This record gives sequence, C-alpha cells and structure tokens, in this order.
Amino acid sequence: MNKVKQKDLILYSGLIILGLAAPYLFSAFKVQLTYLCVLIVLAMTWNLQGGEMGYNTFGNILFYGLGMYLTASVQVGMFFPLAEWTESGGEKTFVHTTAQYFQGIGVGLLVSAIIPAIIAGAIGYAILGLRGHYFAICTLGLGIAAGEIAGGIEIIGAGQGFTTPPFPAEIVDTEARGKFFYFLSFALLIGTFVFVKYIYGSRFKLILNAIRDNEDKAEAMGIQTMKYKITGWMCSAFFCGLAGGIMGGLIGYIDSTDVAFDGREMGVFMVLMAILGGKGTLWGPVIGATLFHFFKEGLWTLILGWQYVALGVLIVVIVIYFPEGLMGWLREKYPERFGEVIDEKDRKAQVELK
Amino acid sequence: MNKLVKLFITSISAITLALVSFTSSFAKVEGDYIVLGSAISLTGKYSSNGVHTQNGYNMAVERINKMGGVEVQGKKYKFEIIYYDDESNPKRAAQLAERLIKQDGVHYMLGPYSSGLTKAIAPVTEKYKIPMVEANGASRSLFTKGYKYLFAVLSPANQYLEVAIDLAVEKNGGKGVRIAQAFEQDAFSQDVRLGILDAAKRTGSEIIIDDKLPKELNDMAATLAKVKATKPDVLVVSGHTKGALTAIRQISEMKVDVPMLAMTHCDAAKLSKQHGKKSEYALCASQWHKNLSYKDKFFGSGKKYDKDFKKEFGYAPPYQSAESSAALLVFKDAFERANSFDRDAVRDALVDTEMQTFYGNIKFGPGGQNVAKPMILFQVRCKGDECENKVVAPTKWASDKFYHPIPKWSERS
Repeated sequence: MNKVKQKDLILYSGLIILGLAAPYLFSAFKVQLTYLCVLIVLAMTWNLQGGEMGYNTFGNILFYGLGMYLTASVQVGMFFPLAEWTESGGEKTFVHTTAQYFQGIGVGLLVSAIIPAIIAGAIGYAILGLRGHYFAICTLGLGIAAGEIAGGIEIIGAGQGFTTPPFPAEIVDTEARGKFFYFLSFALLIGTFVFVKYIYGSRFKLILNAIRDNEDKAEAMGIQTMKYKITGWMCSAFFCGLAGGIMGGLIGYIDSTDVAFDGREMGVFMVLMAILGGKGTLWGPVIGATLFHFFKEGLWTLILGWQYVALGVLIVVIVIYFPEGLMGWLREKYPERFGEVIDEKDRKAQVELK
Repeated sequence: MNKLVKLFITSISAITLALVSFTSSFAKVEGDYIVLGSAISLTGKYSSNGVHTQNGYNMAVERINKMGGVEVQGKKYKFEIIYYDDESNPKRAAQLAERLIKQDGVHYMLGPYSSGLTKAIAPVTEKYKIPMVEANGASRSLFTKGYKYLFAVLSPANQYLEVAIDLAVEKNGGKGVRIAQAFEQDAFSQDVRLGILDAAKRTGSEIIIDDKLPKELNDMAATLAKVKATKPDVLVVSGHTKGALTAIRQISEMKVDVPMLAMTHCDAAKLSKQHGKKSEYALCASQWHKNLSYKDKFFGSGKKYDKDFKKEFGYAPPYQSAESSAALLVFKDAFERANSFDRDAVRDALVDTEMQTFYGNIKFGPGGQNVAKPMILFQVRCKGDECENKVVAPTKWASDKFYHPIPKWSERS
C-alpha cells in the first residue's frame, strides 16, 4: 500500500512541476494550455454528475455561463455603473486600475462559484426527481433557455454581448495576461482534482454510485437520495462556475449563446470528453479532455471545413468501440492493473459453460 | 498500476517533445512574403458571408501580387494570408487570433466576418499591438473602446438604415412615421437598431413594434402577424443573410402589405436572384455598389471589380467582398508609406491613411472607423423576371427614383 502511495506522489509532483513549468516551456501555447485546464475541470465536474451519479446532464453549461456573466458583472459593477459599461456606443471609457482589476476578478470568481451552486441546489430540488432520459432532456432545455434569456437582459449587454474589462494597461509585459489566466486555471484544476480525489475516498462517492446503480435500492437502504443528488450537483456547479469565470476573462468578450451558454459546443464537449476518457473514473475525464483538446487543436486546422464531420466520426467511434471510454477499455483489457483480481478457475468455468 | 503510470509518463513526455519541436514559428515577413493572418467563418451561421469575405481577400491578394506587390525599402514583397476557420464562434475566434499571433508569428491581421467576432478578436490584437484592418465589423461599440490598432474600412452599423427612416419621413410629408422593427440578437443588428432609435427620436417617429429575432434565424412569422395587424409605415429587418432571406420568404408567403421595407444584407443573400420578383421594392443598406464612381489602379472602377469577381468566383460581388478587398489595398498603402515592417510604424501609417479605392474613400476617425465614406441605399427593381439592385440614395449616385409606396400584394402580378 505504502509503495503505491509513493508512486502516486511521484506522479502528482511530476504533473504539478510540468504544469508549473508549462507556460515557460511552451510560451506560445499558453492560451491552449489554459483551455486544457478548463476543459479538464469541466469534464471532471460533469463526470461527478453524469459518471458517478448516473444523471446525464446537458445543463452544466448553465453554471459555466452564469459564472462567466457573474464574474464580469461583479468585476465591472464593483467600480463602475454596469449599465453604462455595456451600453453600445456609449461615449465614456472606463478603465480599471491594476488593483481594481484584480480585486474585481477575485470577488467576481467568489461570486461565480457560490451563486451557481445555490442555483444548482434550487433547480436540483425541482428537477432531480426526474430520471434517465427525462432528466437529460430537461437539462438540455436549461442551457438553451438561459442563453435566450441572457440575450434579452440589457444590463449585461443583451444581444450586443459583454466586453469584459481589459487586462490592466499598467502591466507592460504582454505575457503577463496569459500567465495570469494560465495559473488561475491551473490552480482551479488542482483544486478540483484534489476535491474529486477526496470524494473518491469518501462514503459520498459510494452513495452516488449506489444512486447510479439502483436508486430504488439505495433509497430502500435508507439513503436520502434527493439530498445527495442535490449536493452532488451543487459540487459540479461550484467548479463549473469558476471555470466559466476564468474563461470569460480570458476570452474578453461574452456573447449570450456563442460564448457563455454555449451548449452546442462546450456543453457537448464536456460530455464527450468524459465519455472518451471513461466516465465514472478519476483519471478518465483528465485523459479524455487532454486527448480531445490535442485532437481538436492539432487536427482541426488541417481539415478545415470537415472538422465537424471528423468530430461526428470521433463520437461514433467512441460510442461503438469504447463505450466505457479509454479507461474502461484498459480496465477490461488489463483488469489486474486496476487492482481487480480474477479468479482463473471461475473464469475457465464460465468459458466452459458457454 | 506500475505499467500504467509508465505509459502515462511516456505519453506525456512524447507530447512535450512534439510541442517543443512545433514551437519554432514563422516570421512576419518570410522571404518575399508579407504574412497576414485571419480567422474567417468558413462553417457555422456566418459561413456564406465568411466565404464572401475570404473571396474578397483572396481576389485582392492575387491582384496586388500580380501587379508588382508591395514595395518596402526598394524590395518587392507579396502578400500571403494564413486562414483559420473560426466556426462563427467568438470564443474560437479569440483563441485563433492568439494562435495566429503567438504560434504562426503573424504581425498583421485582417478582420473576421461580423461585429461579434471582431469584438472578440480586437482585445487580443490590441494586447499584442498587432495592427488589424478589418472590413466586416461595423458595430459602433468597436470604435468606443479606445482601440489603437483597429482600423475599419466600413461605416459604423448605426448608419446603415438611418437614411431609410429619413426617406420615409420625407415621403410622409415631413411628419413622423410609424416604424415596426425586428432585429437579430447580435452585436451588428442591435447596433443597426440603435441607429433607428436615434433616427426615430430625431424625426419624431414612433416605434410600434420592436422585436428581437433569435440567432439561428429562420422564422419571423410572429412579428409579421403583428405587422399585418398594426399596419406600420415602415418595416425594418436586420439579421445578416438569413434575416434578409427569411423576411422576404415570409412576407411574400403571408402577403404582408407594408409601404416600405428596409433591410440589410440583401446583396450578400443574393435576394434578387434567389427570390426574384418577391423581393422587388425591398430597400437595402449597403456599404458599396458597383455603380459608384470610385476608382483605383488595381481594380479600376466598381463595375470592373464586379466583372472580374464574377469571372473568378461565378457570382456578383456583395459589398462584403468589396470591402474585404479594400482592406488589403489599405494595408499595401500603409506598408509602402511606412516603408518598414515595424508594427508601430505601420500602425502610424494606417492612422494617416487617406486614399481612394474602387470601394470608396478611406480615412480613419479617432476610433478607427472609416469616416470618409457614406452608406448607400439601393432598391430591388425588376424588369420582367430580371431583378437588379438600383441605387436610390444618396442622390449623388442615385441611378433610379425611389419607388414608394410598395404596391399591395393583391395588385402585384
């Protein structure tokens, strides 16, 4: 047991060092690396809900988008009148000082974690009674509705979109912005990973699994499933909101349906990445997101115009050949490496029976 | 577990190596080529206009290269453009702009299609101090952010249809009119809307319907039903190509009678060709028309551009293509006046731009918008089944008289 832990320690410290060194090693790729961190976070949080609890949701994009708008609104609203900032063609130009910018984004991120979690609790209370396809379809509507509603609210820019505060001009280093957002997202990634890892060792995860495997039995055993389902979703929403807040600042421009409540892309990607890596595993979403991101960045520009066809093919391939994801596939092939013991006699007996 | 960890570490190091070997990037000027970068919507909801933009860029690159290229410090250079597909998505566009600048080493950018995407790219080019000449981002809010490296060859969006309201008021004997309007939920169309609001205030007109249309636009029957019931004097619709097509399709299907119909993107949607007589009398805002009398030595007149473009791409150039071609003429002019590849020198040269192109006069205001060129209005008119866009305003270039009011559907053959 101790030996395994030591190995883990090497692996984790290696990854953290790689993560810290990455923006210096691959300076030109900082933005892509930031995206990678955020994508992994999204895949991991989706996995909590869709993989561990078995409640496939398309609604997590709601929290991501909310986080984006909240962070930007707080960042602006703390120092300037928000309505005048978002008004198109306004004559005034507002400029954040360096201190204002960082204070704003700090408070904004805090808000963007807490409010989505509360909203997840409220919505969860209403709709987590639905199961299976019904829940999936219901959450699909959430993101779409949020996009349309946000597109009509004047104070956050409505259809005009919301330009987030530019990085303070007093910081002359052009690399500073990229580094800031990279380390912010990397910190979020570590935080999320530690949290999920902690959950994996807890009773909470077993309860989520019990809900996934047979909710009625879980209930019969005396587990208050509703309470745990809501808590699970709130955890997802907490990190999704943070991811959204960071992305909003990084992209610099929030559009209601294309950037914030982007169910068609981000909303689908987070599901796809988790499934690609293997849902219901700790490392699956991490590996899935990494592979997906490399595939997307590396290949998409080579097959301009056909990238969505390629994406479609990828989805088909995943579903047919890796229904359990890469981790699931590895587990099936090399079960002993996952600590599963196979009783050879029993296996042979089963083969003979066939 | 042991092997798995090893596998993982191996793959990570492999990826690391691959990345490091890719990091070596191009230079802004490679041999005889000046490399420009552009993220363009080749797929997604703006794909048709994205292609118009790309065709415009390509046509100008080819023409300028053929006619000697760009002369800087006595040496002739040719233009080359690196394109990426932004999928009509602002998030992707911002990411690709980073990629063009940081990984491909591009030092000069051409704009994407649509205001929303330009809004997403401008903060990136501004951060890296990369001059960007854009031809398809007209939203006024682009020019009030204090951007120093953004230059737009087109007139701002709020000017698109203001003139149409003035025309309507004039036809109404100087009295205010009743306006019905429907705009797509995007940066450009919402800015056109603000222009109409200003015009309505100025002329004492009243806005009786003020609808928003969704982004994936293919139905506006609800708005048209209201128009049928309230009988406004003017109906204003803006929603890029899909907005124009949807409006004409449903107005003719529902036989909505309205004395004046003002729109944007009629030529990009090839309205007169696709809908023929159904689109007759539609009044359209345009940045450019082939009949205008501007000239330059690369493309000659607008008519010649129209002919050459048709030969090359098989369709009449919408203004989106013309303005995109003009963007390259601006770059060429700026490089030659700067006589240097220094980004700030090129930027300063761009500030001082004052030139005439086949597309119109170009001179940049303090916010980066083109202040030397007015918008024009044309009206779709048909002879038999042949429909054409005729310029009706401003009077300086008007080839035809503005036909008003639009005859009722029951009286149209």
